[in-house]
This record gives sequence, structure tokens and C-alpha cells, in this order.
Amino acid sequence: RPRHQLIRPKNKNASEKYSKQHYPKDISPLVLTSATQELFGCCADRDVTRESPHKLLKKEDIIQDIKRRAAVSDFSPVKQIVLEYPDEELLLVFDRDFTYGQSFYLVITPEPPQAAVSEVVELERIKTPEPKQWISLGSELEIEEETVKETRDKLRYRFSRVRRKFGAPVCFSDRNTADAKDGHLECAAYPDSRFSIKQLQRDCGIQAVPTLQSSTKNIFTQYKPRDLSDQERESIVQSENLKNFCSSVTSRLVTIHNEQITNVFFDDWKDLGTSPEADDWSGKVSEGLTLHQAFTDQVYTKDRRISCVNWHPALYGVIAVALTEKKEQPFTFDARPSLIVFFCFSDPFNPQLLLECPDDIFAFEFCPSDPNIIVGGCVNGQIVLWDISAHVTHLQWTQSGGKKDLTDIKESKTPVVRYCAVSAVESSHKTRITDVQWLPPTFEVTRMGVPVENKFNTSVQVVSCSPDGTLMFWDVRLPRLLSQHAAERKQTSDEKAHLTPYSVPDTFKHLDRTWKPLFRVLMSQCECERECLFLKSSDRLLTCPGVNLASMPAGINDVLFCFSPVSGTKPLHCFNAHHWLVNSVQRSPFFRDIILSTGGWNFAIWKEGVMDGPLIFSHSSEQVCTAGCWSLSRPAVFYIGKDDGSIDVWDLLEKTSEPSQVYAHVTNAKITCIKPWSTARESRQHLLAVTDDDGVVRVFEIPKSLYVPSRNEVRQIFFLVFFSAFNYKNLKSTFNAVHTQSNCQTQEHNIKWKLMQLFIVHDLMCCM
Amino acid sequence: MAEVEETLKRIQSQKGVQGVIIVNSEGIPIKTTLDNSSTVQYAGLIHQLVMKARSTVRDIDPQNDLTFLRVRSKKNEIMIAPDKDYFLIVIQNPSD
Repeated sequence: RPRHQLIRPKNKNASEKYSKQHYPKDISPLVLTSATQELFGCCADRDVTRESPHKLLKKEDIIQDIKRRAAVSDFSPVKQIVLEYPDEELLLVFDRDFTYGQSFYLVITPEPPQAAVSEVVELERIKTPEPKQWISLGSELEIEEETVKETRDKLRYRFSRVRRKFGAPVCFSDRNTADAKDGHLECAAYPDSRFSIKQLQRDCGIQAVPTLQSSTKNIFTQYKPRDLSDQERESIVQSENLKNFCSSVTSRLVTIHNEQITNVFFDDWKDLGTSPEADDWSGKVSEGLTLHQAFTDQVYTKDRRISCVNWHPALYGVIAVALTEKKEQPFTFDARPSLIVFFCFSDPFNPQLLLECPDDIFAFEFCPSDPNIIVGGCVNGQIVLWDISAHVTHLQWTQSGGKKDLTDIKESKTPVVRYCAVSAVESSHKTRITDVQWLPPTFEVTRMGVPVENKFNTSVQVVSCSPDGTLMFWDVRLPRLLSQHAAERKQTSDEKAHLTPYSVPDTFKHLDRTWKPLFRVLMSQCECERECLFLKSSDRLLTCPGVNLASMPAGINDVLFCFSPVSGTKPLHCFNAHHWLVNSVQRSPFFRDIILSTGGWNFAIWKEGVMDGPLIFSHSSEQVCTAGCWSLSRPAVFYIGKDDGSIDVWDLLEKTSEPSQVYAHVTNAKITCIKPWSTARESRQHLLAVTDDDGVVRVFEIPKSLYVPSRNEVRQIFFLVFFSAFNYKNLKSTFNAVHTQSNCQTQEHNIKWKLMQLFIVHDLMCCM
Repeated sequence: MAEVEETLKRIQSQKGVQGVIIVNSEGIPIKTTLDNSSTVQYAGLIHQLVMKARSTVRDIDPQNDLTFLRVRSKKNEIMIAPDKDYFLIVIQNPSD
């Protein structure tokens, strides 16, 4: 009976459900005696149990039982129902829990109770739900993407050796993959930037607990710091934990407390202010000028005054001197030719090169952009040009110490170079030329006297001055081919290639005897037509096309003045400082506007732009100051040469009122010229050339203390000496003003500084 | 009790020390030699600073820990010795 077989054991829930409804109509509680139970095979807890309380009974059997036992039969109360029962079998349910009052009940309706069936069916329905239709949300695409599929068939390779080698021994070797270029492919690991996450937010706690809150709404909240009650405090203080903490921390604290904090970045040794090469000190350090070499020549230089000395700008150890007669006689029967003599360190007694001059040379200069070109100014007012490019190799060879081969006739005589060009006599100066200078390669002057930027960066112009009151500007280029200057130069240099030592190079052929000055400046307005006129142009002139910033100080007799070419012939300033001849004027190599001038019995240091007078004016010495020059490496040092042959070394940082070192009687004759040379490139020698009236050139070695600048020396010198001296007048007024408010601490500091400045200036003033 | 007092006295007697505060790990002062308002201010502010410093040190190297913190200012110096549960704040004037 499929219907009955559908019925599954009822669970407790169903029976509980039934207990709520008493006696549903379709069942009938029944009591079955044990005999009946035995008879029908439904013994309690044996045949029917709680788990399987159902038992089907045949209707016939029940009817038989009723017939047999009549009233005693357990089934008698339900006799009628059984008789009317349509089906053959009846369902007997063991009701262990006596939910309907008896231990058994008979299901009297043919259909099983609706509720049970429906529930059972529903249970079955719930148990096996049907799967829903799958809606594609795109996941199959992702899976499709991520799956690994073979794009092609697998390749199969079969390697085999040739048949004849089968069974032969094999030789395997190793090979490094790095040996072959494409021996391997690798996929290198790299840090992926997607995985660096920065923490941009951070939780932090603040200790503040609101203490007051109004009941309805929070109008204001007041914060009070948390505090412990006294008892809590007591307990903590007593705790072992705190005691341990105190003992451990105290020791640490006390040691640290006693430490002194030092600035670990401060180097005491460096700050002492010693020289930068502190490790270079040998045991013997000479503190003064030591004679390195002396050059003289019996034939050419003896007893002649050296009027000018110059170091060769490119070659080390080559020095050139111009010689003039001692007695200033226009006509002399001395048959010695006028020469510029070149000496070399390797041979102090024989000149290496001689430059033939038309007349005695008072001043000459190497061209700054081409050391083979030399310009000289003669006694008769002419300008002379030499080109020694043919002999440079010879000079270099001797300078490097090449020994002269006596068998070689060509080298046995000192080569003489004749001048390439000389200016036209009628357009030169009327009297002797006292100074010539090359204009620096950065600018040049036009015919009108306007300085313009020099595009070729070579020195092409020369300035000369003379006591006849004129200043002349000469241009070494061809006048009509000024624009093709560069090409021209190249051409002429090629022509020089094949020249014997005794022929004249063609470099300045265009100028020979026809050379005219570019333009001339007349200085005769000022009352300074005297003997010596010196001109020195600065090494560093500012170049601004269109704006004239060039000025050249010219020292005349007792006057020092500066002028600029554009303004024509009028000098900018005129000072009457030296009482006699001014014989040297030089700009400081470190400061563009500081000028040293020597003349008479003193020297002076000037600052361009200061109209009042010199910054520093030395007190008169017993001897006439005949030469002066700045040191090339130390802004505070300069050398003064004297009439009696002594040299004064001044160090402004050491002493401002007297020379720091005096070398008396270096020579017996008057010192005519001092020129320093720094050979920082090649060796650590710094040399000073000193020439005198006797034709001897002495080269001194400058000691380290005089050529190694101290730290910040430039700044020190600038502020201590020049700036304060310049500001003396301003200083005094500000000092008075500041003095009245001396209570403030910062003002105090200022006062101290100003006092210091004042003392220095006072020192300087004492010199005057 | 006596040990803590003795510690405080000892530190207080050092040259230049202006005040000593012992604070617990939450920043509540336990013992102090300064007045109440200063104590509270120092404790609250320094506690935050120590937490920041400690977390800085430990972020850089989790096995590291802060042992001492020293804050120098124009007028004085604050030295903080942190520990697991407490820390000690000492305010001193180093130039004295």
C-alpha cells in the first residue's frame, strides 16, 4: 500500500503538534492488553517502539479477534469503525507518551491524517529543492580568462646521435650560461610599487575625560585631567614595581645628567686656523724669502739697469728682462745693442734668447692670450712687436734642462730674434714710452674710444703712455681686415711654420713701419707733464657691451688718477698723494677696486670710488719706494722695493703700521722691479723676481706663510682693513648714536664690533 | 615609600634640577616636586611625546625600544627616563 509506505516515522514535532489538539477525529485511542499485543505482534517496546510506532493490522484479524473474544477484545470499542473501514489494513500507532491518554491509538480514517501527510510531503519537498536557473553575472568570463589553456600542440623533439656513434662513450662537459650571449633568459625580481602602502592615518589617544554633562543636552563639556585618588597613589607608591623602577632609572639618569654635551661636529683642530695643508709641514720651514737663483750675464746684463722684468706666462722658469743704460743719455757710444734677455732656470749665467730692439726698452709685456707675442715700448717712443713662436721649442727644451751639445754649432750661440714690427716714427710718442700694457682679452676699444666686447677673446690691443702727455691705443691687426681677424691670424701662423731662427717672422708684416695708433688720448690738461708716466691696466675689467666700466689708473708724478676712455681725455679723479714720482701702480688680484701705488717715500692703497683719498697711506720711510707689487695668492700681502736694495714685506693682517718682514740690502743697487710668479700648477714654489740697477735678476722663493692664505683671508682683509677704513667717518657717527643706547644686549654686541673696527682704523690713522 | 622618597631627594639635589615627576603609564602623575598645575601640564604633554617617540623607535625596528629622551630648549632641559609602567621626568637647567 504505497500510501501507507509513504508514511515515515513521525517525529517528535508532529506528535507535539498533536498533543496540542486533543483527540483529532480520525484517531481513536486504544488500550491493548499484552495478550492482544502478543497476538497481533505489536508488543510495546518490542515490536513497536518510540522510533517505529506504526503497525499495520489486517482488518480481518481484528474482526476475527472481535468475534472470538467478543466483549473482552480490546478492539470492541472500535468494532463499528473497523467494520466500516474500507481498506484491508489499519494503522496502529504506539503512543508511548500517552499523548491521547492511552498507549495505542488506531487510525480510523482510511487516509492518514492530513496534517501528517502534508507535513511529510512538505518535508520531502524542502529536502530536495530544485536548482534555480543560473544567471550569468560575468564570472564565467573571468574563469575563462584565468584558465590555463594550451594555445598550440605540445612540441616534441627527439634527439639522437648518428647511428655509428651508438654505444660509443659520451663526453659531457659543463657550460656556464653566462658564457653564451643568450645562454639563458631570466625573469628578474623587482620590487612592485603596487605593494607599497603608506600609512596615512594614525590613531592616537588623548587623555581628556569629560567630567560634566548636562542631562538634557551637552551645552558645554569641561575637561579635567585624570587624577588618582590618594589611596591609589599610596598603593602605587608602596608597590614593589615602582621601587624597582626608581632604582633602575636613577642610576641611568645620574650618569647622563653629569655628561657634558659637546658639539660633535665641531673640529677644534681646524678651527685653530692653521694652514690648510696641516699635514705638509716638514721640519724645516723657512719663514722668509730665500734666494732661489740669481741671473746675470757678463756680456749683456752687467752694469745695466733692468727696466722691466716679466715671467713667461706659459713656461716655468723663464724670465725676461729689458735692459737700459744707467745713465740717461740720449746718445751713447756704447756699442752694446738694446736687448731683451731671456733667462732660464736651468742656466743662470747664459741667456737663452735675445730679442733685438731698435732702442732701449723701458717696458715690455707678453701678450696674455698668446705668450709668443711680445710688445715693447722704446726710449724713442716707438712700439715694437716680437714674435718668438719659432723659438718656443728651444726655450722649452732648455727650460726642461736639456744640455747643450757643444758639437752642434747651431745651438752654441744664443738665438737672437729681431723685432717683427715697429710703429711709424711720426705717429709714435714723442718721448720715451714708459709703459705698455695689453688690453685684456675680454674687451677691445673702437676707433672712437668706446670699449666693446671682444668676440675673439684674444688680446689684440695695446695701450702705451709716455711723458709727452698722450695715451695711445694700438691695434695689432690689419686695419681693413678687422672682421676677418681670426682667419688672418690663422694664416699668418701657418706661414711661420718654416722659418730659420734668424729670419723675421711675417706675423706683423702689415704693421711694420706703418703702424699707427688706433686713437690717442691727450692728458695734457692736467698739470702733470712730468717725467714718468706709468700705466697699468687691470687684469679684470668688467665687460658690458654698451656700458663703459673700464678705467685705468695712471700714476703720474705726484698724482694718481683714473680715467675712462669714453669720457675722452678728462680724468675721472685726481689725487695728489705721493710727493715725488709714482713708479708703480697695480690693482690687487683679489679685489677689483683696490689699487696699490708706490712713489716717493711712501706707498698708498686706494679704493676706486672713494674720493677722499687713499685707504691706507704709509708713513714715510727713509728710503724711496721704487717698486711695489701685490702677492698673487694672499690678498693681505704685498712687497715694496726700496732705493737701497731692500725689500719690505707687508702683511696687513699681521701689522698695519709697519712691514712684517724687512730684507735689508738684498742687492747693492736700487730695486727697479718686483714681480711675483706662482707656479701652483707644477710645483709648490712661489717665486718673486727682483731686479735691480746692476743687471742682476734675483729670484726668491716665497715661504709658505707668505703665499698660503689663511682661512677667509679675503673676507678678513676686506672687512678689517678696507671696509672699516672706508667707513671710518660713517663709523664715528654711528658709534656716537649707538653709544647712547647701550643697555640692550644686542646693541652691546654691535658696540663691541664697532669698537674693534675703530681700533683698527685708529691704528691706520696713526700711520698717516 | 622611603625608597621612592629617597630617589626623588637624590635627583632633586643634583646640580641644576628644577623638578622631578614620576608618572604612570597613562600619564597620571604619581609623585612630584612641582606644584600641581605644572605637574599636570608636564605629565600630559610629556606623556604624549614619549608615546610618540617610543612608537617611532619601534616602528623603525620592532626589536628596539626607547631608553631615554632628552629635550633641550633655550631655557632648560627635560630628561625623560621611560620604563614599562612608569616614567620619570626631570626638568633641569643645564647651565647652572
